[in-house]
Amino acid sequence: MTETANIRAEIGEDQRGVPSGEPAVGVAESEAPTTAGEIKIRCKGVDVFYGEAQAIKDVTIDIEDKAVTAFIGPSGCGKSTFLRCLNRMNDTIDICRVTGEITLDGGDIYDDDVDPVQLRARVGMVFQKPNPFPKSIYENVAYGPKIHGLASTKAELDCIVEQSLKRAALWGEVKDRLDAPGTGLSGGQQQRLCIARAIATAPEVLLMDEPCSALDPIATAQVEELIDELRRSYSLVIVTHSMQQAARVSQKTAFFHLGLMLEYDDTVKIFTAPSHEKTQQYITGRFG
Amino acid sequence: MSTTVDFTELSAKHTGEASKRRLRARYWAEMRLKAYGIIAIAIAAAALLLLLSTVVTKTAGVIYEKYITLEATIEVSDRDRERLADQNPRMRANLRRVVQGAIATAIPGEIGRRESRQATSIVSGDAGLFLGDRVKADLNLIGQTVPFDALLDDNMQLYLKGVVGRPEEIESAGTLSISVPDEDGFVTASFDPSDLGPIFEAIREQRANDAERARAEQRRQQNAVDVTERQLLEAETDEERAELQSRLDSFVFARDRAETNADELMRLATVIGEGARYTLAETDPSLLMRAGPGWLKFTEVERGEAKGLIYLPLSDTAPVGTEFAEGEWQAFMMERPEATRLQTDRQVVWMENFEDRGLIKEVLNTRILSSSDSASAELAGIWGAVVGSFWTMIVTFLLAFPLGVMASIYLEEFAPKNRVTDLIEVNINNLAAVPSIVFGLLGLAIFVSGVPVNILGYEFTIGGFLPRSSPLAGGAVLALMTLPTIIIAGRASIRAVPSSIRDAALGLGASKLQTATHHVLPLAMPGILTGSIIGMAQALGETAPLLLVGMNSFIQEPPSDPLSPGNVLPTLIYQWNSNSERLFDDKTAAAISILLIFLVLMNALAVLLRKRFERRW
Repeated sequence: MTETANIRAEIGEDQRGVPSGEPAVGVAESEAPTTAGEIKIRCKGVDVFYGEAQAIKDVTIDIEDKAVTAFIGPSGCGKSTFLRCLNRMNDTIDICRVTGEITLDGGDIYDDDVDPVQLRARVGMVFQKPNPFPKSIYENVAYGPKIHGLASTKAELDCIVEQSLKRAALWGEVKDRLDAPGTGLSGGQQQRLCIARAIATAPEVLLMDEPCSALDPIATAQVEELIDELRRSYSLVIVTHSMQQAARVSQKTAFFHLGLMLEYDDTVKIFTAPSHEKTQQYITGRFG
Repeated sequence: MSTTVDFTELSAKHTGEASKRRLRARYWAEMRLKAYGIIAIAIAAAALLLLLSTVVTKTAGVIYEKYITLEATIEVSDRDRERLADQNPRMRANLRRVVQGAIATAIPGEIGRRESRQATSIVSGDAGLFLGDRVKADLNLIGQTVPFDALLDDNMQLYLKGVVGRPEEIESAGTLSISVPDEDGFVTASFDPSDLGPIFEAIREQRANDAERARAEQRRQQNAVDVTERQLLEAETDEERAELQSRLDSFVFARDRAETNADELMRLATVIGEGARYTLAETDPSLLMRAGPGWLKFTEVERGEAKGLIYLPLSDTAPVGTEFAEGEWQAFMMERPEATRLQTDRQVVWMENFEDRGLIKEVLNTRILSSSDSASAELAGIWGAVVGSFWTMIVTFLLAFPLGVMASIYLEEFAPKNRVTDLIEVNINNLAAVPSIVFGLLGLAIFVSGVPVNILGYEFTIGGFLPRSSPLAGGAVLALMTLPTIIIAGRASIRAVPSSIRDAALGLGASKLQTATHHVLPLAMPGILTGSIIGMAQALGETAPLLLVGMNSFIQEPPSDPLSPGNVLPTLIYQWNSNSERLFDDKTAAAISILLIFLVLMNALAVLLRKRFERRW
């Protein structure tokens, strides 16, 4: 009883926290169209191997559209590895092997006729460390649309760049210096630039691998706000080490431990009444 | 467990006498190490300084070249007139005779038949061609008398630079009187017996040295005689005895001859300047005399008197019984004997005369840069080799750079990591350490000669498609040599591009190729270029593999394209260095300086690139 109360108190400190007992709809949920519940990605019995070592063991999870799903768990539990399965980024690692079934809108993404390049245009990704190209801000955002042929004229491209930067809440800060190098921005701005770059390719799903771990609290708050905003249009999956962050931004939370997904449920449920003992220990800071 | 340790006691050791000693020893060791380092650096710096100063001082010797100003009356033969009128600039007329005439005019007095060859050879063999070129440019000069500067022969230039020494004045106080020449042209000069002391001393010294050498020879032969005599005593058969006896006889003969020789030389050394007349040989220092405007050379000398020839007329009128007061004449000794130098005494006298008359001119030497190789040292230049090096480098770059970049991007970005790629990696690293001459042999076999193959009776040749001595063949060989360097540098700089950039591009849906060409390669390019330039600089200085494909041929024209024969700077340096003419020594140094300048420039470019595009992630 006392532990649960503590967690409630902790979440209660957050303005966007959800009162206990209510269903998995946060304050933000009321603003967004309620399409949550539609399944975007279905994973069934996914195993991932690095050579002989098994990193992910039999993970089955359904990821909802127009919602934020958080993956939490101690370091090395495989949550990033699993995230990278969702857009086949693991293909770039030679020794990595994925089995099981992952479908995006019903289509198997590991099917032979699915081109990983095409898939990654639909499932965008934002990385832990801001990694803008050492090119201008404009070039950074325009790169994706260019290689995928999303714009046929310069004006269209300009429009995409502007829209993307606006949705990433960066337009106001950089609109006068689009030719400046993207690497010259501050850390938080760089990460929002990376988000804008990911948005610009018009993906359906956005994967974020610890997007705030290299940022200061103010930049973190900005990015979190942005994530909440993006939930209206995308299915977002976010890997995070910060349980507060998971509680703040996500609607669903999955807890990973030693390659296994131990628990997957509404965020509120996970943080208030976890059904698994390990989850309880992790979120109360007993280990991890 | 052992007994407990008292850490308070241990702490006390930090301040004890033993600890101070230990500290001192540590400082001392540090000082010693520093001293070793400084000594090592000083030795290296001194060696470098020595090398550079040698090269620079020798180069300084060819910064200027010397000309003689002549008055030439341009009279041309019909054949030459035809050539001069021809519009084709390759039709050159050699106005050799005009130059010969001009030299004869410049030398005071008559020059005999035997001396005319010596007179002609004071200017470069191509002086007539140069004059021809000038007349060709202005045909109005024909029939006129015009001043023109003729390039001096390399030996004369060296003489004027004092490489073989110049005549040294020796004391001459009294009056000099010169007799009427006899029928062979010899005159007798009379002077104060106390004059010309040093020439006697010099000759005496030389004779004494010669005598010492003859004595050494005598001792050697004596040794042989002793040994053979002993063998003779131990000999057992008659046959053996007979053979040994004949050998002994020859040794005894040689010993006796050396002894006589040494005795005679010793005698000469003691009597010189003591009354007896001494005949100056070609191997003796030369005795020259300037009297008024003229010059004499003496072949016999004794105290107060000398006999010799008039090389340049002593006055405008006939030299009959001329007398010169003190100060009007000087005696000179040319210490280096005539036989050991390439400038005859006559030429020495002429050069001294020309210089006194202000006919010798020094001009900045642009020829060494603008002309190509030549057999005559004074005409040889590096231009042909520079052009050859340029073509070779172009070929090397065009072959090695794209191949190297493609190989490194494939190995780094696309190739699976397995045993095969590991093997390739190890082999590329090993290739970089293969001696360059091996690449030369490989190139010779594959590119130039071809490898004859016989498979099931079918005979054919693999390779052998590039012409020998061509920059194309040389460039191909150097490309083989440079390739590993470029691949290693390329892979290192591709690997230095952080994987987050690759992730970013792949995450956006860029293909592997797009990631490589749009992001990785542009970011790695400065590093690849730096590595390539360093590899090219290495190739520019490479000699051994090019010798094998025949790029050390004697080629007087710069190659017009990569297929025509040429040589490169390092092989030219190699060729010049093995030339016997002394002026080639200095030209070699000049060519080395220029090669070094090119290398420094290329390395500076590499450093600049690295600094300019250096990126910290």
